[in-house]
Amino acid sequence: MVATKKYDVIDQSTGALDRSIFIDEAVYQEELEKIFGRAWLMIGHESLVPNTNDFFHTYMGEDPVILTRDNNGELHAMLNMCRHRGNRIIRADDGNAKNFMCTYHGWTFSSDGSLEHVPGEERVYFNELNKSELGLVQARVDTYAGIVFATWDHEAPTLEEYLGDARWYLDLSFNRRDGGQQALGPLKWMEPVNWKTPVDNCSDNYHVPVSHLSSILADEKVWGVPKRTAESQFNTEDRKHLFVNGHSLTIGEVSPEQPRYGHGVVEDNRHHFVKYQKDTLPEVEKRLGSKRARGLLLGNHSLFPNTVLGFRLALPRGPLMTEFWHFVLYDKDAPPEIKDALRWGLTGHNGAAGSFEQDDIDNWRSVTEASKSPIARRYNQKLVMGIGHSGPHEEYPGDVATRYISESNQRNFYNRWEEFMNAESWADIPIDPITADFDGTATMKD
Amino acid sequence: MTISEVSTKDLWYDINHFYIQEAWLLDERKFKQWLNIFTEDVFYFIPRRKNVYRKDLSREITKYGDLAILEESKRDLQMRIARLDTGMAWAEDPPSRTRHIIANLVVEPLENGEVKAKTAFLLYKSHLEYDQDLYAGMREDILRQVDGEWKVSRRTIVLDANVLLTKNVSVFF
Repeated sequence: MVATKKYDVIDQSTGALDRSIFIDEAVYQEELEKIFGRAWLMIGHESLVPNTNDFFHTYMGEDPVILTRDNNGELHAMLNMCRHRGNRIIRADDGNAKNFMCTYHGWTFSSDGSLEHVPGEERVYFNELNKSELGLVQARVDTYAGIVFATWDHEAPTLEEYLGDARWYLDLSFNRRDGGQQALGPLKWMEPVNWKTPVDNCSDNYHVPVSHLSSILADEKVWGVPKRTAESQFNTEDRKHLFVNGHSLTIGEVSPEQPRYGHGVVEDNRHHFVKYQKDTLPEVEKRLGSKRARGLLLGNHSLFPNTVLGFRLALPRGPLMTEFWHFVLYDKDAPPEIKDALRWGLTGHNGAAGSFEQDDIDNWRSVTEASKSPIARRYNQKLVMGIGHSGPHEEYPGDVATRYISESNQRNFYNRWEEFMNAESWADIPIDPITADFDGTATMKD
Repeated sequence: MTISEVSTKDLWYDINHFYIQEAWLLDERKFKQWLNIFTEDVFYFIPRRKNVYRKDLSREITKYGDLAILEESKRDLQMRIARLDTGMAWAEDPPSRTRHIIANLVVEPLENGEVKAKTAFLLYKSHLEYDQDLYAGMREDILRQVDGEWKVSRRTIVLDANVLLTKNVSVFF
C-alpha cells in the first residue's frame, strides 16, 4: 500500500464525509486519471453494434470513445482522436462505416482502429511514417451478459474479477434468458450535480418515500400501484443492502411467482408480468440456480465508478455537472407487451422527464452546491446511519447491512473512492476474491 | 376564391386560436383544463433526436418502439398533473415559470375529417432562482372534432436538441 494516504475523506467511525471532493477542480482532474483512467467503465451494449462495422459513440469519463464491431466481429473501444493532431474522427451518435476519415487532413482509420491511409504518405512524408504505430488508442474491452465495459489500464484485473461477486446479484436482472438482452437508447441530458451523488444515491432507499412521494401517491391513485410508505420502506426483513468490490447493491427476497420488475408494472398489465415470470422461471432456474431464480430480485444498484441504477451512466462533466445517459434493457425474447411496458415504465419514471427522477435533481444539485461554500464545508456530510451494523452474511456475498435502509454502502463507496485515489497503480487497489456459488449455467458470456 | 380555400383559411384561424388558448392554459398553470384539449385516446410522444450523418437522416428522429423521452397516454398525463397537486412534486414546487410561443402553423385537412397541424415552438422555463431552459422544437398534432370542439388525438413533439441542456423535463409541450 502507499506510504502516505493523500485522501482521507470519509471517517468510517463517524460517517463524516469531506465535502470538498464534490467541488474541487484539482480533485476532479485527479479523479479523471485515477478512477476513470483505471476502472472498468460501462460503455454500451453489444446489441447497439449488432453488425460488422457498426459504431456507437460513447464516453469513458470525459474521453470520447468509439465502440466498433470490426470486420471480423471483434469489439473495439478506441479514443475518438486522430493520432495526427487530435481531431475527433467520428461526430455522430452511431452508424455503420468501414473506416473513419479525419475531417482535418484526411488520415483514415479502419473500424479496428488501424491507420489505413495518410494523404501524401509518399510525397510529403517520404514514406517515413510508421503507420502501424499510429492506430487509434485502444482501451481493453470485455463484456458481461452483452454489456460492454472498457478500461484504459492494461494492468487492471479482468472484468470478471472487477465485477467479482457483484455478478452473482447482477445476473438477477441481466443474465436471465438464453437469448440475451436488447439495449435501447440512450436518452441524454445534463444534471448540475457532481457525478458521485447520483451514484451514491442508488443505495439510498431512505430518500424514496420522501423525494418521490408525489409520484408514489399519483401512481397509486391513477395506476393502482401499491403505495410504498416510509413504514414499508423501513421494513427490512425481506430486503438487503450490501456492498461488493466497489459495487453497491440492494436485493429483495421474493416468492417465485413475483414479477422481477419494478417500473412498468401497473394494475392493468400485472397479469402479463405474472405470466412472463411463470413462463420463464424454468429457463431462469436452469441459468441461475434455484436460490437466485426462485427467491431473489435485484433492486437499485450502482457499479463503481459511474454505472447507475440498471443500465445508465453518470458521465462526469466537471465537478459541478454530470451528463446522464439513460438506456432501457429488456430480454430479447420477451413478448411485445413486456417490452412495451418496460420501455414505457422506465421512461415515464426515470430519464429526463421521469416522474420519479425529476424530483431527485434539485436535491442532488443542492448537495453539490452546498459544498461550494467554505462556511458550509466546515460541516461534513453525515453518513452515520448503521455504522457497526454490517458484515459478512451466511447466505449473501459482500458486506451486508443488517438493515435495508442504511448508509453502509455510501461509506463503502467513498472508501472505494479513497482506495482508487490513493493508489499508485492497480497493484495498490484491493479486489475481493470471488467466493459466490454461481449455481446454474449462466456465465460472463452465455 | 373557392369554398375549399375559404374553409382552409377558417380552419387555419380556428386552429391557430386553439393553440393560442392552449399556450395560455399552460403558462397560467391551468393543467386540468389543459388536459381537456386531448381526446381520451391521445398519444403524447416525444421521440429522441439523434445526431447522425446526412446519409442516416432517416434515423434522426427515433421511431415508436425505440426509447423515447416520453410516450404517454391520457392517464399518464393525468398522473403527472395529479402529482403537482400533492404539494410534494419537488421538481415543480416551487413551480416553473414558463412561456410557450407557438408559431408557423401549417394545417392539412385529412380525408377522414381530421386535421394534421404542424407548429414550431419556443418554450422558456425559469425555475427557482437562477435556472433557465430554452426548448426549441416542432409539434405535429392530429386534431379531431369531439362534440363540436377540436381535440388533439396525437401529439408528436420533436425537440431540436441532442443532449438536452436541462436538469429535467418537468414542463409540458
